[in-house]
Amino acid sequence: MDFSEQSHQTEIRDSLNKILSEHCSQELLKEYDANFKHDESLLSLLSANGFLGLGLNEKYGGSGEDLYDLGILFERLGYHAAPLSLSGCLVDVAQTIQKFGNEESCKEILSSIIAGEIYTSAILEPFNQDPENPMTTAKIENDQLIISGTKYLSEISSMAKSILISANSSEGVLLVLVESDKVKLTELSSTANSPLFKVELDSVRISRRSIIHEQGRGLEALRYLIQINMVMRSYIALGITEKMTSLVAGYTSEREQFGRVIGTFQAVSHRAADCFIELECLRLVNQQASINLNTSLDCENDALISKIWAGNACHKISYSAQHLHGGMGVDKDYVLWRYCLLAKECELINGSASQNIDRLGINITTNQ
Amino acid sequence: MLIQLSQKQLKLQNELQEYFESLITPTLKAELSQPEYFEGGGPEFKKAMKTMGSDGWIGLSWKKEFGGKELSPIEQYIFVETVMRTGFPFPFLTTESVGPMIAEHGSEWAKEEIATKILKGELIFGIGYSEPNSGTDLASLQTKVIKQTDGYLINGQKMWTSLANFSDYIWLATRTDFEAKNHKGISMFIVPTDDPGFSMSAINTLGDVRTNATFYDNILVPESHLVGELNQGWSLITSQLNLERLALVNHGPVEQLYKDVLKTAQSTKIDNNQYLSDLSWVKHNFAHVHSGIEALKLICWKQTWIMESDQLNMAEASVAKVYGSEFFIEAYRLLMEVMGELSILKNDSDLTILNARLERMYRTASILTFGGGTNEVQRDIIAMAGLLMPRTR
Ligand SMILES: Cc1cc2nc3c(=O)[nH]c(=O)nc-3n(C[C@H](O)[C@H](O)[C@H](O)COP(=O)(O)OP(=O)(O)OC[C@H]3O[C@@H](n4cnc5c(N)ncnc54)[C@H](O)[C@@H]3O)c2cc1C
Repeated sequence: MDFSEQSHQTEIRDSLNKILSEHCSQELLKEYDANFKHDESLLSLLSANGFLGLGLNEKYGGSGEDLYDLGILFERLGYHAAPLSLSGCLVDVAQTIQKFGNEESCKEILSSIIAGEIYTSAILEPFNQDPENPMTTAKIENDQLIISGTKYLSEISSMAKSILISANSSEGVLLVLVESDKVKLTELSSTANSPLFKVELDSVRISRRSIIHEQGRGLEALRYLIQINMVMRSYIALGITEKMTSLVAGYTSEREQFGRVIGTFQAVSHRAADCFIELECLRLVNQQASINLNTSLDCENDALISKIWAGNACHKISYSAQHLHGGMGVDKDYVLWRYCLLAKECELINGSASQNIDRLGINITTNQ
Repeated sequence: MLIQLSQKQLKLQNELQEYFESLITPTLKAELSQPEYFEGGGPEFKKAMKTMGSDGWIGLSWKKEFGGKELSPIEQYIFVETVMRTGFPFPFLTTESVGPMIAEHGSEWAKEEIATKILKGELIFGIGYSEPNSGTDLASLQTKVIKQTDGYLINGQKMWTSLANFSDYIWLATRTDFEAKNHKGISMFIVPTDDPGFSMSAINTLGDVRTNATFYDNILVPESHLVGELNQGWSLITSQLNLERLALVNHGPVEQLYKDVLKTAQSTKIDNNQYLSDLSWVKHNFAHVHSGIEALKLICWKQTWIMESDQLNMAEASVAKVYGSEFFIEAYRLLMEVMGELSILKNDSDLTILNARLERMYRTASILTFGGGTNEVQRDIIAMAGLLMPRTR
């Protein structure tokens, strides 16, 4: 057993911290509070420094297929509240294609993603509680697919070259890459002002060759996509909650009331300690899930456990941090509030804790 | 034992419901949905306040001799509940806290000019208690007042002065004796916001609720603006606090939200043969919220019942405040989980549900846990007054 990080992983974290702290200052983040939240120049910088190739094979220009490396990227993006939404591109599209795509599409798509080209996914559907069973349909006509349905919460779709879409067909679930100009996009307005879109497909005709996986492996690929998305989102949650906890430690060590530093009130220090405990649990379950996903394509329970901890940590630490800051915590001139919004987004997208607990309960009580 | 509202109280509830249905016109509703008017202050809001004043619906807790309704605590609770369910930002602090204190302890001028106009719905107050360095430890406040021959000279800064952007006066807590122990040197003043020495800057918050930093630069007010005796202000600050705390955790709004989410879940199809409310974890979440609301309602009702006989125990008031404020946070979370990702969409978005009420509520929920007497201090009070444990230090 060895819980230590490899030296290259610590280096990734350090250099990401350096770049992101420069590009995610309060003043810079302010600009994205009401505008389209996507920092193109930061994306180029990450690409130029090779960070978009984390978790991707060297033969496509990546730095190796370790998902823990990729986790560090999302953790840091969360920690710095970076104005970038990259899980659709780097996780859903890149990782799923790496595992299920053919050599040709890996070469083409993965190397252009590493170079900074944006792809995204559109998996979730309003009201559909089971993303493994899409309501979106693909009719198969000779070598053509005709796709119809509505997706939502698709990231930066307006800038994406193609969108990875899940659909049900007579051959079961399919994952299909659809060019963005074939769909109707509507920008949604959501709690953390993330660039999220509704994607409507009205009998979109595309070639069968747009299916990214071998015949019959669609459901497997979709399950993998959903799981790795849960895990990487939980890494974002880890970064967000780590930042909130460190803000708590800093603020309560300085703020005075009743002639003493509030961190010396036991109720305050204990609640901060509870945040620390929550954070440690989240970190560990994330590490386990990402390591297991390195060697197995189906780790549903690990992914669920990560996302359950992420949902709970986001909720608990957000409210603890707000409470322990008093009024300062909700003042938009201070740092904390953006994290509270991101925490809620992270808690709810791709399955809330209650929903995932139900699912995990079903899994562990029926024979697996 | 009897745990239900009386016929008379139910009648009051009905009457109020009908009254507010007619008061809250679509134009008023539209005004209140704009962020700058969330908390009132717009022309339609002002009109509605005046209507309520002339219809006698302001001054519920005021003594009859001052023109009030002298409603019993349970009737007041019903009023707060009904108003809050409608979402109308009724300025309770002005009408039920500051108003009656001025009517009872104010100068002749204050009684005639201020109290009467509050009753008519013509005046709004901002509450100037907190300062940058005095939050939970309110008694350490430093806003300075020096007695002059022609009145009192005020200098200082307040923090989080909500409503100051549209209020006529600030109900200002100041220090008038710098030698005395903290809470023995405090006096209350009525300070006009149109004084040239008054200024403010906006503080925007997570919940889109605007509040303000307010500044008092050599403001001279006449003797008549002092409320109560000099250096006796602390008791004015604390006297109405229990009632105020109860109003903060009224079960009406959360119950209304729960019912509305339940209705939505029961009518939302998730596939060809199931509704959202058919899922077992969804039932679970609703049951949690429902059982939580029952307890909150009973705690609040019991308190109003105790208040009728005037023996409110300190511990019980704190139980309501701690439980209620923390339950709201849990309830919003459980209800957001039910609606899932849809509940993070904002009011102006496509696909929004329930006018994005869930999205807004979760952002305002933390304020109640540290505001209105922080929960840690309330827990100290519960241990001390409820369990007779030694005082925490
Ligand atoms: C939106 C908003 C509107 C407001 N409106 C008004 C208004 O209209 N008028 C007004 O006067 N004020 C208003 N307030 C201020 C509010 O009353 C204060 O925020 C509150 O009193 C807490 O003070 P603080 O923010 O300075 O936090 P602090 O007092 O600094 O508290 C920070 C943390 O320390 C903890 N703490 C402090 N003392 C102790 C202790 N002894 N033991 C254990 N823990 C402790 C607190 O629980 C909290 O978690 C408003 C605040 C907000 C956010």
